[in-house]
Formats: sequence, C-alpha cells, structure tokens
Amino acid sequence: MMKKLTPIIEWGTLLLTTGLVCFFLLAILWDLISKGSSSLSWAFISTSPSDGMTKGGILPAIIGTVLLTLITALIAAPFGICCAIYLNEYAEDSWLTRIIRASIRNLAGVPSIIYGLFGLALFVQGLQMGTSLLAAGLTLGLLSLPYIIITTEEALRRVPNSMRQAALAVGATQFESIRDVVLPSAIPGMLTGLVLTLSRAAGETAPILFTGVAFYINKPAGYLNQEFMALPYHLYMLSTQHQAIEQVRPLAYGTALVLIIVVFFLNLSAFYIRYQHSKHE
Amino acid sequence: MMKYLLCLLIILLVSCSDAGKFIKVKGSDTEVNLAVSLAENFYKEHPDFSVAISGGGSGLGIASLLNGQTDIANSSRPLNAEEIMLLKTKGIPIRTVIFAEDATAFIVHKDFHLDSIDIATLTKVLNGQYKTWKPVTGQDMPISIYGRQSNSGTHSFISKKLKMEFSRDAKEMNGNAQIVEGIKHDRSGIGYVGAGYILNNGTEQPIKVLKIIAKPGSIAVSPLDIKAIAARRYYFQRPLYQFIPLTSWKKVSAFIDFEKSAAGQKIITTSGYYIILK
Amino acid sequence: MKLAIREKTDQAAKLLFRMTGLMVIAILAGIFFMLLWNTVAFFLKIKPWDFITGTQWNPSGTPANYGMLPLLVSTSLVTLGAMCIAIPLGIGTASFLSDYAGRKLKSVLKPAIEMLASVPSVAIGFLDIVVLGPGIASITGQSNGLNALNGAVLLAIMSLPTIITVTQDALEGVPNAYKEASYSVGANRWQTLIQVTIPAAAPGILAAVMLGVGRAIGETMTVLMATGNASAFPKGFFHSVRTMTATIAIEMGEVPYQTTHYYALFAIAAVLFLMTLLVNIVGEYFVNKYRKYQAA
Repeated sequence: MMKKLTPIIEWGTLLLTTGLVCFFLLAILWDLISKGSSSLSWAFISTSPSDGMTKGGILPAIIGTVLLTLITALIAAPFGICCAIYLNEYAEDSWLTRIIRASIRNLAGVPSIIYGLFGLALFVQGLQMGTSLLAAGLTLGLLSLPYIIITTEEALRRVPNSMRQAALAVGATQFESIRDVVLPSAIPGMLTGLVLTLSRAAGETAPILFTGVAFYINKPAGYLNQEFMALPYHLYMLSTQHQAIEQVRPLAYGTALVLIIVVFFLNLSAFYIRYQHSKHE
Repeated sequence: MMKYLLCLLIILLVSCSDAGKFIKVKGSDTEVNLAVSLAENFYKEHPDFSVAISGGGSGLGIASLLNGQTDIANSSRPLNAEEIMLLKTKGIPIRTVIFAEDATAFIVHKDFHLDSIDIATLTKVLNGQYKTWKPVTGQDMPISIYGRQSNSGTHSFISKKLKMEFSRDAKEMNGNAQIVEGIKHDRSGIGYVGAGYILNNGTEQPIKVLKIIAKPGSIAVSPLDIKAIAARRYYFQRPLYQFIPLTSWKKVSAFIDFEKSAAGQKIITTSGYYIILK
Repeated sequence: MKLAIREKTDQAAKLLFRMTGLMVIAILAGIFFMLLWNTVAFFLKIKPWDFITGTQWNPSGTPANYGMLPLLVSTSLVTLGAMCIAIPLGIGTASFLSDYAGRKLKSVLKPAIEMLASVPSVAIGFLDIVVLGPGIASITGQSNGLNALNGAVLLAIMSLPTIITVTQDALEGVPNAYKEASYSVGANRWQTLIQVTIPAAAPGILAAVMLGVGRAIGETMTVLMATGNASAFPKGFFHSVRTMTATIAIEMGEVPYQTTHYYALFAIAAVLFLMTLLVNIVGEYFVNKYRKYQAA
C-alpha cells in the first residue's frame, strides 16, 4: 500500500509547488484582466484624467512611460553595446577586466532605489536638471546599463571565434570584422536582451520617484525639462494616495492592466526574437 | 532604423518647453487632490500653462523649496525655525499664501463604540500610553494607529497640538487615502486625515468621524461642522499654506489668482476644505 | 577603399569603443563612490557604531535618532520569511521542470515563469492592497494585513522566478552519469532526485537562493505598499515593519539636500549596497565552485 502511495505523494509535492507558482501568475493575470478589462476603452488610453482624476483616461501616463523608455533605450543601448564590444572584443583577459566584469554583474543586482538616489544626487541636484523627464530617463538608463552590457557580451561571446579569424584572414580590419561579421550574427541576442531590459525599465517605480515623476500634470505632452506622469507611478498613486481610492479602483485596475500589457508585449517580442533566432541556428 | 532613432532623439532634445509657463507644485498629501482639481480647472482657463503636481507630504514641498525644485510648495504646517534659517542661509526669499483651511479629522471604524473623544484620552491613545481600547471603550482590543510619516505636516501638526510624540508602533502610511482604507477594515484602528478625505460626510464609507472635546465639559465638535470651523471652535483646524519663492512669483501669480477667484474658491469648498474670511 | 583610411577607421573605432567602455565603467564606479562619499559625510556627524546599533529610527524627532537596527532587522525578517516560502517552492518547481516535466509542458512553463519575473513590482503591490492584504488579515485573524508576513509573501513571489531559473540550470547541469548510476542501483526517480541530483547541484541551488535573497532585500515598491512601515523595532511577522528600501523611498523626497538626514539615507543605501554585494559575491562564489565541480 505504502509503496503504491509514495510515488503519488512525491509526484504530488512537485506538482503542487509548480502549480502554486503557476497559480501566482494566473491569479495576477486573472484578477487584472477580469477586473481591469471593463475600464479599458479607446477613451481610457486617449484622454487625460479629469474631475480630480476620478474620471477620464491615462494618456499623459502612457506618453510619459513611452518617452521614458525611449530615453532609457537611447542612453543605455549605445553606451552599453559599445562597452560590451570593448570588453569582449578589445580588452584582453586580465585581472582588471575580470574585476570589471564582476562589478558589472554586481551592479545588475544593486537595488533600483539606489539608482534613484544616484540619479537624484547626480542629475537632479549635481547637474541641475531638476526633477524632469531627462533626469529620470538618465537614471533608468544607468539602471539598464549593466543588463545591456551583460546580455550583449553574452550574445557576442556566442559568435564563434572562427568567424572573426576568417574575417581577419581575408584582410578585414578588426573594426570591419566586428561591424560586418560579429555584430550581424549577434544582433538577435542583443535585441532580446535590450527589449527585456526595457520591459523592466518601463515597470520601474522606485528610481523615478525622486527624479521626475509627477502626481498629476494637466498637459499630456511630455517635455524633456519637465516633470511627467508614468504608468507605474500612476498606479501607485491611484492605489495609495488618491482621495477616493475605492472610487478610482476601476481606473487603477485599468492602469495596471495597461502597464502589464506594455510589459508583456515587450517580453513577448523578446521571446519571439529569440524563437526566430533559435530556429535559424 | 538608426536614422529613425536619431530623428526621435533630435525631436526629444528640441522639445524642451518654455520654462516660463511651466509650474511645479509640490508637497502636502493633504492638499494634493485639491491642487489637482485646481490645476485641472486652471488649465481650462489658461491652456498655455502646464502645471505638474506632486504630493508626498508637506516635508517634500518644503524640502523642494529649499532645494530649488519647486515653484509652489504646498504645506499643511508653517515653516519651523530650522527651515526659516535654512531658507535665509540659502538666500531664498519666499512669499506665503494661505489659501484654505483644513480640519484634521480623527476617524475610526463605523462600528466603533464612541462618537466623541476628549483631548486627554486621545493623547494617551496616540502616544502609546494606552495599548488597548479597554480604558476608553471597555473593549479589550489592541489599538492600531494609522498615521503618516514623520515628515508629514499633519503628523507634526497633531503632535505639536497635543504636545506629545507618537507611539513608535503607529503605522506610517504613504498617504491620507491609505489611512482611510486601513480604518475601513480595522475595527480597532484610529487614524487622522485631512477633512477633504472624508467624502460625502463619511456616510458612504464604513468609517466614523470622531467629534472632539477640546476641554472637559465643553461640547464635542465635528470637523465637518462648517459653522464651528468658521468660528474656529474645532480643536484641530489649521490653515493650509503655499510657499512660493520670489523668483517664481511672477509665473505662478496667474495660478494664485485663480485660486482666489470665485471658481477657485468653489473648488476648494467642494473638495471638502474651508475658506475662512479674515 | 584605401588601406590607410581603413586602418584609420579601425584605430578610431578602437579608441571610441575603449573610451565609451571606460566611461561607462567610470560612471558605474561613480555610483559606488557617491555612496561612499555621502556615507562618510554622515559618519562625520553620527558615529558609525551608533548608526548600526541604535534601536530608534526617528530622524525628525528632538533629538534626532539615527539608529538603523530596526530597519535592518525588518529587512532581514521580511527576507527570511520570503525565503522560507520561496526556497521550497522554487526547488520543487525547478525539480519538476528539470526531471519530470515533458518537453511540451516545459516550453509553456519556462516563459510563464519569465513572465512572472517581469510583472512590475508596483502591480504586485497594488494587487496586494486590493486582494492579498485583506485576505491575509482575515485568515490570520489580524485587524489588518499590513505586516511583515504580507511583505514576505510578496517578496517570495517576486524572488521565485530567479530561484527557479538558476536552480533549474543547476539541476540540469548535473551530469547524466550520476542519475544513470543511481537508477542502475535500483533507485527510483524521486530517490535519485533527493539523494543524488539535488546534493550534486547544491552549490548551484545555494547560488540561486543568494540571488533570490538579493532580489528580496532590494525590492522597494511592494514592501512600501504592503508592510505598514511602522518604524518601531519589529516584534514578529504580524507586526508592521519598515524595511531599509521603504525608508529611503519614504524619506528621500522630503529631506533638504546636504543635511544629516539626507546623508543618513545615503548611509542606509550604502549598507543596502554592501548587503547585496555580499550576497551576490557569495552567490557567484558558489556558481564558480559548481562550475569547477561539474568540469571535474
């Protein structure tokens, strides 16, 4: 009897743990979709909040998040990729580069709030940008740098050395071999990393808390030197600070759903790139 | 692709707006929702101005004032001596506008056994001297205090008014609204919020607004009693301030004028705050 | 194209990559030095010993108290609770994925777990306020759900994906010969998992746990929204706690620059930085050890 039961218990334990983990995801999605979809409408994503933010849409927050992510990409991608190319293609393998790599890996694990502090001290205060879209974008850019460096280096490392040697052998300079041979074959991996990093940046709240996000702004357009609204902060605000929390709960659900859709969309496109790439290999 | 991104970058870089029409309003969670309503209606009359509102707490507003990060610092408490000194040493002259009056309400769950509370008891509840409600209502329930962070104007207002320090066990919520949320579900809770957070006289929510007895023997006054507020009879009523650095005065004056206009005053009263005629 | 020009471009590109590379590294080093600088400024005013061992955090009191012990204990308490939940769940799920699940199931579960990792923390905090917090309160009979337990559950959910992914890699990295040897002496799949695979992958699992701990320690928004933030010394899982990250998030906006309080928050950040650094280094050590072990 025991002999028959034990495998079931064993199976059950593992299945239960896995089930629980899946349950977390499904519960999150189910709750958001079932309660949030009713507030989703074209008007919701295309109008500004009105009546003291108890009605209307979230257009300024969407614009803010899109611009913020764009600035993050513009800052982090070129610098991160150049740094990764330097580390992987040019720098020789010494104790110094090993320390640099280790510190970059560690920086990827540094809490996002610390980047927020750094952004406040450096951009808002030190460089006198004030609390603004630019300061927040730069802060998120810094936060994303380590991730981009790590993922890009990984993509570069997967390019076989024989390809580089072949390029050099036919007389290409090192730069030409990187530009024409290494980068094109590393691009899918780099792109996956970039998109995943951006999806993380789009959902961050802590680093923008002191660097430029606003509770409410009466104009939807975002300017670099001004404060902005962002989806994650808007959700935080609607669920903890707004005067009539219960009344705006549908709006909060709608905002959460839009935020999740944005993040998942970015994720899925990263998975798609990865999938396409793995098919080619 | 790269060219496309470059174009976007250029658009972004060019899109720095005219700073002369951009107003940053910061601080005071008590006032933030009022400020939002004001800004929204202000925009209808002056579509060329853009107003960004951040809440947080009075401390945030005053800190931003000191850090030169705001055009209007909302605050539900006056500046303290240290802040006045800091403003002087940093060379930031300011103007003060009192634009509304608030009555800080003490709220409990709807099923709470008392309707009113006197100042001495309230002090003992809030400073942690009473751990349970037993000496107050007779029920043996632990007291849970829903308060604000120590940098909040309301927090410092109440501890000054009652001449006490808050119990370290008091929960420190992110905003007034979270306090209301907490109280709704907590039968043993007590919290304090700005009058604007009591919607529809508190009738639609499972909360109760405590009446305050200022002195033994005097009558209990509700923070929602307009006449009592006008006569300054409520114990926890206070002016709401706006501190404006002189350098920003010119650009914000249109907004201040709007607050003082009939439309602005109407928004203030419908948001649950009071206007006191001097 | 002429060779000279090509060589010049090559040189220029090399210089450009080197410059940007070094610049990025300098900026990232700058974060560390900024923390250090502001922390030193703080320690000039408050003794480090008082800061670490003080049991009162009350920067706006008279006199101001800068004792970070309650914050440190809160962070540890919430993280400990999170790990108690996340480690068994994580190892169980990873074992299921690596040893039991079929190819098809795996190709569904893997992205699902990555999706869970990408849910923004503020969304999890929001759902906690609406659903989980009141739920926990009614199950445990507390008057409210704003306590350390609630925070621990959320942090467990947030650190699970990291733990699962790294543990699964570790389990799958165990050479097949080990398992085959175990099967050949008559052990079944479960016995093999418990007695052979998991012990063999132990360093990798430890690394996974460390990374999970790092994630939990540094998480800000969920604890800010879920734990009540009372700054009293934490008394247990059913009391409100205030973590280091939440303290920074609450107080940073409200301090004038270059005051003791401002520096104090950087000092907390520096401690937080050191903690995550330590956790990451330990994690990395185990990963390397595990790689060597595998190579052998």
